[in-house]
Amino acid sequence: MKTANKRYAARRRTNSVTMVLSVAATLFGVGWLVLILGVLLYEGLSGLSLRVFTEMTPPPGAAGGLLNAIMGSLVLTGLAVLIGTPIGILAGTYMAEYGRHDRLTSVVRFVNDILLSAPSIVIGLFIYEVMVFPMGHFSGWAGAVALAVIVVPVVVRTTEDMLTLVPDSLREAAASIGLPRSLMITRIAYRAAKAGMVTGVLLAVARISGETAPLLFTALNNQFWNSNLNAPMSSLPVVIFQFALSPYKDWQALAWTGALIITFAVLALSIVARTLTASRKQS
Amino acid sequence: MNVATVTTTPTVMHAPVDAAGLSERISIRGLNFYYGENRALKDITLSLYAGKVTAFIGPSGCGKSTLLRVLNRMYDLYPNQRAEGHVDLDGDDILSPKQDLNLLRARIGMVFQKPTPFPMSIYENIAFGIRLYERLSRSELDERVESALRRAALWEEVKNKLNANGLSLSGGQQQRLCIARTVAVQPEVILFDEPCSALDPISTAKIEGLIDELKAEYTIVIVTHNMQQAARVSDFTAFMYMGELVEFDTTSKMFTAPHDRRTQDYITGRFG
Repeated sequence: MKTANKRYAARRRTNSVTMVLSVAATLFGVGWLVLILGVLLYEGLSGLSLRVFTEMTPPPGAAGGLLNAIMGSLVLTGLAVLIGTPIGILAGTYMAEYGRHDRLTSVVRFVNDILLSAPSIVIGLFIYEVMVFPMGHFSGWAGAVALAVIVVPVVVRTTEDMLTLVPDSLREAAASIGLPRSLMITRIAYRAAKAGMVTGVLLAVARISGETAPLLFTALNNQFWNSNLNAPMSSLPVVIFQFALSPYKDWQALAWTGALIITFAVLALSIVARTLTASRKQS
Repeated sequence: MNVATVTTTPTVMHAPVDAAGLSERISIRGLNFYYGENRALKDITLSLYAGKVTAFIGPSGCGKSTLLRVLNRMYDLYPNQRAEGHVDLDGDDILSPKQDLNLLRARIGMVFQKPTPFPMSIYENIAFGIRLYERLSRSELDERVESALRRAALWEEVKNKLNANGLSLSGGQQQRLCIARTVAVQPEVILFDEPCSALDPISTAKIEGLIDELKAEYTIVIVTHNMQQAARVSDFTAFMYMGELVEFDTTSKMFTAPHDRRTQDYITGRFG
């Protein structure tokens, strides 16, 4: 019969110590997150009003809202997704379906991984060099393209991963009734991988909606309502950046509110993405 | 008896089948198959007869699935796999590089080991393949879908939920859906790759019954691990071992009086 000998006692001690350490580490990490969200809610909610969504960014000392910045963010993000998603999906499709065993695919995957972790300020500088400088002015287009460059690698990665998860047996089944490859991909593989691919796009949106650095070099900012993509365009992150650093109390309050809006928009996107992923697992 | 010594005995070519009254649908002559450098099929010569069920049996890794996948060029989906020799479908060279693979696979359908319904409705699962090659009115299409589902003995179970997802069916129903999908394209030959190995005995019995009915119109080839199944459903049996075709004959002869010692050992369960 086994008794509580020395080795067993030592093992129990190790177990308790490890558990205490991991719980402490968890609390430490989660604690900061709670603090950040708490301060954000406290500071942001106090400035939240209908005016935020109906008025333009004000000059210092005047009352105003964030409408132009919110619209700018929506336009820039939307355009970036429109530009980046087709490129990303096509590239991911090539890698997973046509060129799975090709050398080119491993090269592209490697380069894509670098791009995925490239500092966004570098991307901003790059677009500044190739678009803003030749055009002679900051513009919404440049901002959208800079964000699109961030979208592409995220979508490439998730598209390839999700298509790779589609079992070969499904491809064989499609081939077995005489389905050409193009239809097999668009009608069968995309359908099977749909939830994951949409999740990838949502994650990309979440990623770019908080990006500031690439926009500083490209779309810059605009204090007024602007729907001209050839002119500088306002966006939430840049407004937050500018207002938070200003010495004016009312600007700082607006910056907090803007941060709150972005955070909850991203949170909502993440929840949608997670729900989609969960429903994919079930089916 | 030691298996190692068995393999050294020269390949006994199968006894010639009395071909009177039989018409050859697929003719395989001197077929070799390679996975990269690895030769998986060795000089296979075999006839598959119209309106008959031919079973491929043999231990795991003997090449029976490989042989099946040569018949519809399924191996073409993967790199580094190649076949050499002659395989004719009614005189049409299957292995020719000029062969249109989509048309070939519409003529030679396949049902897989695991049910593989497409991620779409039951109706669409069937209609999808039909629409590829034919332009039909809605009512004609409905008819074809129904008749395919009836052929697969699935109609009564699904007629009230044709819009339900194909993946919501049970395993046995999914497999019959796959058979319906294959039949709907109106192939000449149907290949079954261990179609019952993931199914319970009742579903298995249904599928076997189906195969028996389908053979009136189609040439059927079935790979199976289950000797009783081969005995029940097939007219001809080919026994394969280590990439070689050891013996080919009518099923009744194969299971009662096999020529080759290895066939006898496998059928009586002495190895494999």
